[in-house]
Amino acid sequence: MSSSPAIEPDAPDLVCQLDNVQGMVDALACVRWKRHQDALVELSEHGIVLIVEESGCLQAKVYLQRELFTKYEYGAEGRPRFGISLGLLVDCLNTFSSPGHSNTIEIKYPGPDMELLLKSVDTLNSCIYSEIRTRLPETSAWDYNFEQAGSAPLTFTVKSSALKEAIDDLEWPGSSVQISLQKSPPCVTFRGEGHGDLQIDLMYYANTDLLLAFHCDTEVSYRYKYKFLKATTANIPGNVVRENRGSKLTIGRGGMLKVQHLVSVAKALAPQVESAGYQPPSRIAYIEFFVKPEEPDD
Amino acid sequence: MKFKAFLTENGVNLLEKRFLPAFDKMGKTCFVFLTKEHLFFLHNLLNGDGVQCIAQFRKDVLFDDYRLSSQNEDRIAFSLDVSLLYRAVKSSVSICTEFSGGLASNRLQIKLVKKLPPNCTQPMPFLTFETKGYKSAVIQDVPISKPLSRSQVIELQTALDSAQDLPPTLVQVQDPNQLQNFVDHMKHVGDVLNVTISKHGDLQVQISTTLIRLGTEFQRLSVIGEKTQAPVEDRNLSAQARSERAVARGDAQSVEVSVKHFSKSLHCHLTKPDSAFYGIAPQGACLTVIFQFMVPGTRQTDKSISLHCRLPVLDPGSS
Repeated sequence: MSSSPAIEPDAPDLVCQLDNVQGMVDALACVRWKRHQDALVELSEHGIVLIVEESGCLQAKVYLQRELFTKYEYGAEGRPRFGISLGLLVDCLNTFSSPGHSNTIEIKYPGPDMELLLKSVDTLNSCIYSEIRTRLPETSAWDYNFEQAGSAPLTFTVKSSALKEAIDDLEWPGSSVQISLQKSPPCVTFRGEGHGDLQIDLMYYANTDLLLAFHCDTEVSYRYKYKFLKATTANIPGNVVRENRGSKLTIGRGGMLKVQHLVSVAKALAPQVESAGYQPPSRIAYIEFFVKPEEPDD
Repeated sequence: MKFKAFLTENGVNLLEKRFLPAFDKMGKTCFVFLTKEHLFFLHNLLNGDGVQCIAQFRKDVLFDDYRLSSQNEDRIAFSLDVSLLYRAVKSSVSICTEFSGGLASNRLQIKLVKKLPPNCTQPMPFLTFETKGYKSAVIQDVPISKPLSRSQVIELQTALDSAQDLPPTLVQVQDPNQLQNFVDHMKHVGDVLNVTISKHGDLQVQISTTLIRLGTEFQRLSVIGEKTQAPVEDRNLSAQARSERAVARGDAQSVEVSVKHFSKSLHCHLTKPDSAFYGIAPQGACLTVIFQFMVPGTRQTDKSISLHCRLPVLDPGSS
């Protein structure tokens, strides 16, 4: 690689600063379900979206809105996209979140060779810097076209830790899990069949502390591959699970499952200041998974 | 060949709490080299690959009543399993404190013995730790290698002498934890670490692969040895550009070492040094890290303890 010129001739597409690297690491780690994973990054005036996908059946998106950043200068026309190794990006950001270092980083795109540039700021006599090679994005758009199934959404919100626990427990029966929503009595059922059967019922009226919300006007039932379902919760960092916000699950047209998590990217001043864990919505990263259902067997 | 001594309280503390935990992480075996005045722990000194680690204690730091004699100019050297030594010292200490009820009179004796182990016909050498209580004595034998021959001791002494060369420029890192955190995280990104040290007091550590370049730079560190002022026009350049220019001017040197070796050398922080000095040997022969210990409660270097590491340099073509 050649040495970078001291002065950039053109304004870059994006220069932004973030004062909580760990929050960004947490958010990205949620969608890292294997070691080598390609991600697509899309920049816009509203923020940064990172998308990962697997075998046409599972997609995850991390939304880092511009409000999360302490500085967000967007200079591009259109929406620049690039491919990047998610593993490298997470490992690299982790380095910046070392204790004892200023946690503020500057992210800039593109560098002289279309790299993603990261550097620590606000440190007097030491700095961390990084350049990550980006790739041309793949031509096929990963569009999962999530549409509402009927006139009203089929959705429920469950404590993230409870969801993770339920999905972890469903590991032993076998390769697929059936999720059913029932109108009356309002109930969500996870059922795994294989080496044995395991059924987990979340009754809305009985478990209001676990099942925080429930909307269903018609009964639905779809099967999902266990490994994809597991990817939606397996990598949520422990500190995020402990915060225990709700995870929202929605079943769309054709059985497409949407799982949404919230991850705090607020600057850590004092941990557990408020037990309710309330954060202004602007300091939350949104994470969405889309899981395609298994084809019903005839 | 005789060696017998009592470990002082300070000596026990130094070994048990600081140096043996570090050595245990540096490698399985090490040489113990005893002379009239000093005790050395030597890691990897005779085989070229791997991190060399050299610790030297003046005898009165660790021992009192130090008795040593050998026909080889009163020098004894042998190798042993560090984890066994560490275990023996740890348990001797716990026995000592348990039985003495805090009395300092209960001392830990260490000596070299030959014993006939069960099911053996040949007596074997051991380093023995003996804790005497009021009514009982607890003895722990740490098996050691056969003491080195005269020619082997000379070879070890020569290697030790040549490992004492100082790099022309050394930069001081006051807070080694910062570097350790950084390198611990960096390990996931690549295997080869590029280390650049300048006469201006800059230390740059960088991993560079086809996909990523990740580095950290410490500036304005204090310099021992050859130093120069950084040119004013370099001030606003990026870290990489600055170090490239310094290397081109001859004001800095750069070597590549294995990330594994570098992170292994950081285990020396378990010895709780007050600071560390980094330097590159002439012709880029190795990366040297010298740890500094202060006399407790002062800003004076404790000359009775010394510890340094030498990291082999990777051939730029081989990686």
